[in-house]
Amino acid sequence: MSCPHAIRELSPTPLLRLRAHPLRIALVGNPNVGKSVVFGRLTGRYVTVSNYPGTTVAVTRGRSTVGAEVCDIIDTPGVNALEGPLSEDEKVTRDLLQGGGVELVVQIADARNLRRALTLTSQLADVGLPMILVLNMIDEARARGVDVDAAGLSDELGIPVIEAVAPEGRGMSELRDALAVPARASAASDCGQTHVEWADAMTRRFRTVGQMSLGRVQEWLGRAVREPLTGIPALLIVLYLTYLVVGVFGAQTLVGLLEEDLFGRYLNPWAAAAASHIPSAAARDFLVGDYGLISMGLTYAIAIVLPVVTTFFLVFGFLEDSGYIPRLAIFSDRLFRAMGLNGRAVLPMVLGLGCDTMATMTTRILATPKERLIAILLLALGVPCSAQLATIMGILGGISFAALVTLFAVVLSQMVLVGFLAARVLPGDRSDFVMELPPLRMPRLRNIVTKTLVRVKWYLGEAVPLFLIGTVLLFVLDRVGGLDAIASASRPVVTGLLGLPPRAAEVFVMGFLRRDYGAAGLFKMAHDGSLSNVQAVVALTVMTLFVPCVANFLMIVKERGLRIGLAILSFVTLIAVGTGVALNALLGALHVSF
Amino acid sequence: MSRSEHSAGVHKLSALRPGTRGRIVRVTRDLTGRTERLAALGVTPGATVRLLQTFPGIVFECDQTELAVERTVAHAIFIELD
Repeated sequence: MSCPHAIRELSPTPLLRLRAHPLRIALVGNPNVGKSVVFGRLTGRYVTVSNYPGTTVAVTRGRSTVGAEVCDIIDTPGVNALEGPLSEDEKVTRDLLQGGGVELVVQIADARNLRRALTLTSQLADVGLPMILVLNMIDEARARGVDVDAAGLSDELGIPVIEAVAPEGRGMSELRDALAVPARASAASDCGQTHVEWADAMTRRFRTVGQMSLGRVQEWLGRAVREPLTGIPALLIVLYLTYLVVGVFGAQTLVGLLEEDLFGRYLNPWAAAAASHIPSAAARDFLVGDYGLISMGLTYAIAIVLPVVTTFFLVFGFLEDSGYIPRLAIFSDRLFRAMGLNGRAVLPMVLGLGCDTMATMTTRILATPKERLIAILLLALGVPCSAQLATIMGILGGISFAALVTLFAVVLSQMVLVGFLAARVLPGDRSDFVMELPPLRMPRLRNIVTKTLVRVKWYLGEAVPLFLIGTVLLFVLDRVGGLDAIASASRPVVTGLLGLPPRAAEVFVMGFLRRDYGAAGLFKMAHDGSLSNVQAVVALTVMTLFVPCVANFLMIVKERGLRIGLAILSFVTLIAVGTGVALNALLGALHVSF
Repeated sequence: MSRSEHSAGVHKLSALRPGTRGRIVRVTRDLTGRTERLAALGVTPGATVRLLQTFPGIVFECDQTELAVERTVAHAIFIELD
């Protein structure tokens, strides 16, 4: 039942011609099919690539040349549909396609999931732009016994269909050649069928499924991490290994090497010796004093936080690419439902452990405004980012395991409580839990290393300047007596109710610039011996629940508006201080000293 | 029609045991656009299904996609056993 191609008039449009702007090519496809890998292959630009849907939440552009022509390649968030009820990132892609900002569509498809891909192909055909179809992951499809007749499909659709394995670069030169000869696709509307009926018929004609030869190991591992009896122990092992790499190797071994040896023995003494030639005492202090750019700003950023974020990003990159993280949704769905969310929320929450600011953007993968708001609130309230998490582990790990457990228990229970109340107070609904689980894969070392390097570079570019600005701010405040003023103004709360030394007030000021900066300040205080065990637990609990850092706050404002941003800010501060006060009183009453 | 379907071995996905294989015959509509969202993931009549797990969440393979859903969603998916 072939349908006539002639219904849709194909005018031969020469694509090589003079233009006011470069040819704009959009990469479109279902989530997690490898659009960003193809983007990287075509443009040479790196965008984060992971093995779960929703890694790309905003449109990314890059340049490429096809033959003699310069093109703009546009990477888009994954879409399951362009019609019917759409998520926020699906709307982004649809608006881009319908808004006339694109001349050519390259649909990237997961060759294993031809039916789903063709349902989308059919909807894309209705947009009326010239198209090319790329069947990606053709190797994994064959391994699963799925075979697609690409030539037959190409004849039927009237567009180039290319087989590819993008991470290895297979099919990319064919794609470049095809970019010059795209055509409008003929699909469901040309046959008077629905998109699904058409995709179903096409799949039956052009796909054969032979004997499943999915690896035994993969099948076994998939079952092991999915079923509660083995999955919960597996999760504990993953957490413990993460703790070993980040909390012990990163936060203790590496930080020890850098902070005590490199900075403590060499750099800071050298800097102090060099600075002693500077005649002005103020200038000397500015560099190597209590709030010196080198002795504080650089030491915190490079010696305390950098080793921790680097080890964290390595582990995190591995987990991201393995496809493990989305499977946690199976276990957490019930808990999240009590908090007005569903299991999907596990993605932004776990990503928040990397960086809350990025995770706030990822809440776009949630279906309803209420879910997005609750997720943003919980991220701001309780999810510690990588740097903060590791300083927590670095400090409390050195005290006792009970101290660490106390902090996480308090923070988690606050999140559950706030989520539970928010679910009842805020208007709106939660959506059904329906989530695609990406295939479990052995991560590619190259991608993990690249991703970690990009993230470390991002940390150095984004965080280090803020650490330095913060140090300057503290230096100036200290000079004009501002720190004393803040310390005495906050004394009733900080010293009185929280039972902390007055200097802790400074650390909270630093914590607003970046939470990891504040946490690094606490790390230093704990090392100096100016915090008792109980004080360390209380201060870190407050810091963890405390206001989001400036970058996170700005992202909340960007996503949800200033009014909600300010509301979240004041609410979170209130909860943080309140919880700290209660915890301090409770620990005192119980005579706990860890 | 639903009566005859039942006698022909049609069951809700939520009522099946892990390991069961079959084919989707119907997805009940509701007002939230659930059917469309499931269809976009490939959960449409004709798709082959293999149930993998029922607790704590329902996990099944639909064609080549592994999906996790909550129970109320699984109530809406009707399967004809192989």
